[in-house]
Amino acid sequence: MLHALKYNVLRKELRGIGLTFCLVAATTALIFFIILQIGLTRGTVAYLIPVLIAATRWGVVSALFAAILGVLASAFFFFEPRFSFHISDPQEIINLILYIFVAVVVSQLATRLKRQLEISRQREIDMRDLYAFSRRLAVAFDVADIQSAIEDHLTTVMQRKVALFSGARDSAGGNRRRPAGAVPDRVLAEVESFTAARRDNVTGVTVAGDNGEAWLVRAVSPKSPEFGLIAINFGKNSQEDSDELRIRVDAALADATATLERLGIAHAINEAHMRSQTDQLREALIGSVSHELRTPLASILGAATVLSTAPALQGEAKLLALVQDVRSEAERLNDDIQNLLDATRISSDGIKPQAEWADPADIIDSALERCRGRMAGHRVVLNMPSDLPLIYVDPVLVKQALVQIFDNAAKYSAPGSQISIAARARDGRMILSVSDQGAGLTANEQPQIWDRFARGERHAATTSGSGLGLWIANAFVAANGGKMNAVSDGPGLGATLAIELPVTQATVPQMESDADE
Amino acid sequence: MSEPSPIVLVVDDEIQIRRFLRTGFELNGFVVHEASTGTEAIRAATLRPIDIVIVDLGLPDMDGSEVVERIRSWSTVPIIVLSVRSSEAQKVRLLEIGADDYVVKPFGIAELLARVRVALRRQSRAASGEPAVTVGPLTIDLAARAVTLNGARLTLTPKEYRLLQVLAQHAGNVVTHQHLLKEVWGSIHMQDTHYLRIFVRKLRQKIEPHPDSPKILATELGVGYRLAYSGAEGENGAPVMAPAKSEI
Repeated sequence: MLHALKYNVLRKELRGIGLTFCLVAATTALIFFIILQIGLTRGTVAYLIPVLIAATRWGVVSALFAAILGVLASAFFFFEPRFSFHISDPQEIINLILYIFVAVVVSQLATRLKRQLEISRQREIDMRDLYAFSRRLAVAFDVADIQSAIEDHLTTVMQRKVALFSGARDSAGGNRRRPAGAVPDRVLAEVESFTAARRDNVTGVTVAGDNGEAWLVRAVSPKSPEFGLIAINFGKNSQEDSDELRIRVDAALADATATLERLGIAHAINEAHMRSQTDQLREALIGSVSHELRTPLASILGAATVLSTAPALQGEAKLLALVQDVRSEAERLNDDIQNLLDATRISSDGIKPQAEWADPADIIDSALERCRGRMAGHRVVLNMPSDLPLIYVDPVLVKQALVQIFDNAAKYSAPGSQISIAARARDGRMILSVSDQGAGLTANEQPQIWDRFARGERHAATTSGSGLGLWIANAFVAANGGKMNAVSDGPGLGATLAIELPVTQATVPQMESDADE
Repeated sequence: MSEPSPIVLVVDDEIQIRRFLRTGFELNGFVVHEASTGTEAIRAATLRPIDIVIVDLGLPDMDGSEVVERIRSWSTVPIIVLSVRSSEAQKVRLLEIGADDYVVKPFGIAELLARVRVALRRQSRAASGEPAVTVGPLTIDLAARAVTLNGARLTLTPKEYRLLQVLAQHAGNVVTHQHLLKEVWGSIHMQDTHYLRIFVRKLRQKIEPHPDSPKILATELGVGYRLAYSGAEGENGAPVMAPAKSEI
């Protein structure tokens, strides 16, 4: 392997020397041309140019070679007697010695500069990669996110196509889950068997993929199986190149593993695994609670509505009242279950707004329709202009937020009092506000009403509720890019709760309406 | 009533639901057939004359939407879906594959009966070729392309009329945004709900006594619009009850 490395270095130097020779020849031709045309005789200094170029491009060996060639060419072509290496004028000899000294110093300086430039450029690239990598890790939520971040990071570090396969931990289909791009089947098979048996084998196995490309399959780190397996495309390289690549891969992977360990990736992966399991459990629970609780409710409510219309019960006012109780209590239970489900959905980050262009008037009307029964005892005053802008939101979520606010207003204000609903657009925002003449808020209560399970102590004994309503409303509004606020002049003086939503201009071509008239 | 009793096929695996639906329908003069699985429902729908099908979405042997699709492949019988899962996207999908309407569980029998009557009326109107649709004070004469409100002729733009026409053809049932956009503006505008909002607003200014609280052109948030007069149930002799609408 070392032979291969030396061979490569030698080849690079020889190439530099060859190019230097050409450069010096070109310079000689140029000086010759100048002497012939203009008659200037002192051109030796011009040989510093090839020295400088060689030093910055091909390194110190080429630079020194250029200096020597320059001396020889000067002596041979330009100093008397011409076309011989003999120099008659001692002045010229001093010039040449000076030239050699300058050339050596310049070539040293230039090569050092070149090396430093390369190092700092590489360092900058490394830093940028690392920064991008850690930023992706910070937002990565599940194992797949982390893995694709690692995969991309390794791809950048190796400058080769890299496919990462998860560790044996979730081997049940885990390896296949990732599409892994254009990884040939033979390599995938090797990965499978590697997962099964020889995971500690750090040297790895080279597999010939399709169209003559070689792939290296190995564990990312022998110490941390969480990081999984890696397959690297070596391309169509000769054996020597592959050996050199292997050394680079070893170094790069050692670096990368150190980075991964420093960033606590193993821990993050394990945590993500656990999180996804918890999420699955929670979703299953939500689904089954929803079904198990609501199916009997549907029967209870349905049966109660049939009973209330049954001819046999007409005229039995007391019995009808009982039936009505069954019905309204079932409806309340249904609302409570819905609130619990919504709350669970919010905490598991499960709200995905289905935004569309919606008319705020439609949203308010639907919410009012839904709360008609609950607000029947109140005077509801609606105040909205007929030219409200459209808003781009999930109308169902906003409606549900409004329903919670209406419910709240009806619950905490006396029957017969007024509930005013207003909508207005101002400064690029749509404001839907609901004012009641009810219990109001104390200064302490104001910031607390948005909290989960917040219940005003003043009302705990007299009014039922879970304390989830406004928290849910707030979350639904936030999911639509809006915010909520509450204002009250004090206890007993009523409160105004408002939803603020962003308004972006809808482009409705006016001519659509008139084009065909 | 001299008309024969309408026949309803109730498809639900919960016996309690079937029981209250049977009682509710029979009290209102329907003949009720029951099925507890999808397979049974499809067989029943092929063997007997059925006027309307009520399908629950969660069936033991297949999804309710599959029952809708299978029945719709050979029959135009009205289908109303009962659903507990009720994302708006799912409702839209059900309507697209051929359901006439949906009711979200839990629901009151009055709400379901209202939907059933609307669907039956639409079916009989389609069968008789009756050209005029009346929704409360509004009459849309599809043959003469004339719209009258309380007997007075309305002037509508062609697009406004087209919108009302599509809604009238499905009077009483929900029509999805996508369907309306496709029918009125063409399929390239199927995502442009803002066109629809603006035109519905204009239309309401002309046909609704109080455009802020529409009684004729009703909004089904996230799904579509419904041309239905809110007072209609009462006039038809059905018991007037606040519908037990349930939330999503």
